[in-house]
Amino acid sequence: MNQREQQPTSNRRDFLFRLLKGTIFIGAACSLSYWLYDPTGPGIAKKQNRLVTLPDFSMAGLKDKMSIVTGSDRAKTINRGLEALGGIETFVKEGDRVLLKVNAAFATPPILSATTNPQLVAELARLCYKAGASTVVVTDNPINDPTSCFSLTGIQDRAQSAGAKVLLPRDGFFQPTTVSDGRLIRNWPILWEPFKKIDKVIGVAPVKDHHRSGASMTMKNWYGLLGGRRNIFHQDIHTIIKELAVMVKPTLVVLDGTTTMMTNGPTGGSLGDLKETATMIVSTDQVAADSFGATLLGKTPAELPYIGKAEAAGVGTADYESLNPIRIDST
Amino acid sequence: MARTVSKTETFVGYGVILVLLIITGGLLLKQSRFNSSILEPGALKQELLSQPTPPLAPVRDLRQYAPKDLTPLSPAESFGPENLSDKIDGKAELYLSAGFVSLTSQRFALEDKPSEWMEAFIYHMGSPRGSYSVYSMQKRSEARDLELGDYGYETENALYFVHGPYYLEIVSSVAQETMAESMLSFARNFLSKTPVESNVLNELDLFPKKNLNSESISLLPSNGFGFEQFDSIFTAQYMVGDTEVTAFLSRRKSQDEATSLVEAYTSFLLTFGGTELKSTLDIPGAKLVEIMDTYELVFSRGSFLAGVHGAENRKAAEEIALMLNQSLAEKSR
Repeated sequence: MNQREQQPTSNRRDFLFRLLKGTIFIGAACSLSYWLYDPTGPGIAKKQNRLVTLPDFSMAGLKDKMSIVTGSDRAKTINRGLEALGGIETFVKEGDRVLLKVNAAFATPPILSATTNPQLVAELARLCYKAGASTVVVTDNPINDPTSCFSLTGIQDRAQSAGAKVLLPRDGFFQPTTVSDGRLIRNWPILWEPFKKIDKVIGVAPVKDHHRSGASMTMKNWYGLLGGRRNIFHQDIHTIIKELAVMVKPTLVVLDGTTTMMTNGPTGGSLGDLKETATMIVSTDQVAADSFGATLLGKTPAELPYIGKAEAAGVGTADYESLNPIRIDST
Repeated sequence: MARTVSKTETFVGYGVILVLLIITGGLLLKQSRFNSSILEPGALKQELLSQPTPPLAPVRDLRQYAPKDLTPLSPAESFGPENLSDKIDGKAELYLSAGFVSLTSQRFALEDKPSEWMEAFIYHMGSPRGSYSVYSMQKRSEARDLELGDYGYETENALYFVHGPYYLEIVSSVAQETMAESMLSFARNFLSKTPVESNVLNELDLFPKKNLNSESISLLPSNGFGFEQFDSIFTAQYMVGDTEVTAFLSRRKSQDEATSLVEAYTSFLLTFGGTELKSTLDIPGAKLVEIMDTYELVFSRGSFLAGVHGAENRKAAEEIALMLNQSLAEKSR
């Protein structure tokens, strides 16, 4: 018997039938695979859809304004500082929704100057409403318990008495963000909810010594927008401050150097840590504001590496004199 | 005519289908427990970071130390090394580098004036050296000494002292006499209810007294003068004419260690642009380095490492080094 004779025989009809069955099976398998295929993959793209980016709150043509007012009465110095830049109306328009980002990091009393002064918060809220703001929101994500922080610092009472709405952080308020060209802030949660529908952002911070960064002023103040276990960023404090400054483009910053925490920051604790420096800085350039603030701490901007980093990132200028700041003595 | 299938082929076919079913089952099982960190590197970190860190230290109620006129304003809180920064933010590093074990804090208000309150911070630093270190690094210059624990002092609104391995800060929301008295009572109650072994740091007496600013003595727990191998370094400020000079000393485990640290620190300075100068001092093995227009002088005496740091004036640096060497010769025997 030869080889051909040993093979089973098959007619044309049987072959075509088998070919049809095979084609249907392959087609069905391909269709099922196509139907089940997830082009985005699990996790990555879906989460990236939730990434948020803070809008640019700065105002065109007003990026290099600065005033430096001497005096110890905060209500007076903030008014004079803003008037020098054209008045609060230059920055806050009719119907604007304004967010005041305060430093309420610690549950400490106002006399320790570890947090934004409540009188200053109230005066700013009042001025915003006077300029026609429809809403003024005051917020921060403090280090300590938020309720205690806003209460014991006096910020809550004074802000509310001026008609501002105090927003304490809650779990649902955070959304991840990634800073463009950032190394540390990548898919990291930030306090997002209070910024929804906001038109203008004003950062309000005291001048303080800081054990890790050398100083805590307007740029470090944005640290309070971070969620998660943000303390890991202390290992690279100057980079994180720079990235925060890139992340937030405020309408205005107010740096309160009425009383400066010269030593033992950022918590302080003793009135002996404080010095009356009687200065209020108002600026649209947060780098310039902090550069001048460094001098109140007896430092040069070069001694605070984050200032140089922020300047190199194009956030602002460390050479505050180049802005021709308007100097006023309100005493 | 259609081919008939053999039994072997049938069994092999069933076997293949069975293997495919097992693989399918395995895939479905793994997918149901999908770990997003496989495809998203940061996800696992985020997941871990979002988990609350349990406090490592037991919460101790501080009410037992409060005098009658103080009433709790908040519950006691405790923090360990993992979450200390949740309480004191950027200052945590100062404590962690000095051997921090735990912090317990609680706020109290005056019973008849609830708006006036104070907060007590009790840091357990693991050893008297740790507590002295954080005390000395933060001592306020305009302070009044107090007979309270070790090295006690007060400022307008706060009390600070060391008690064995504990470092205490009691901070008030007001600079007011009634509150100050209540804070003092609180502190004394803590001292009487917390027995500790005596806290003697012999190094403090080794600094020569002439021209010494006795308030300036500090203990650097680690990374002294930016040099990694310099731990447990005591520093003190001297005035020589108009020049302020920082002297330092550290007891090492052995004479060999002290000697090798002299060499290592000198190499460190030379690496960063220093120039070694010939020392004419009558101190065997002393090294003098000029770096960035300042002078560093380092030597060993027995198991002690000592020297002068960052002096702007060579003569002043040598004068203090000689005094320090003399003091070590007399007192460290």
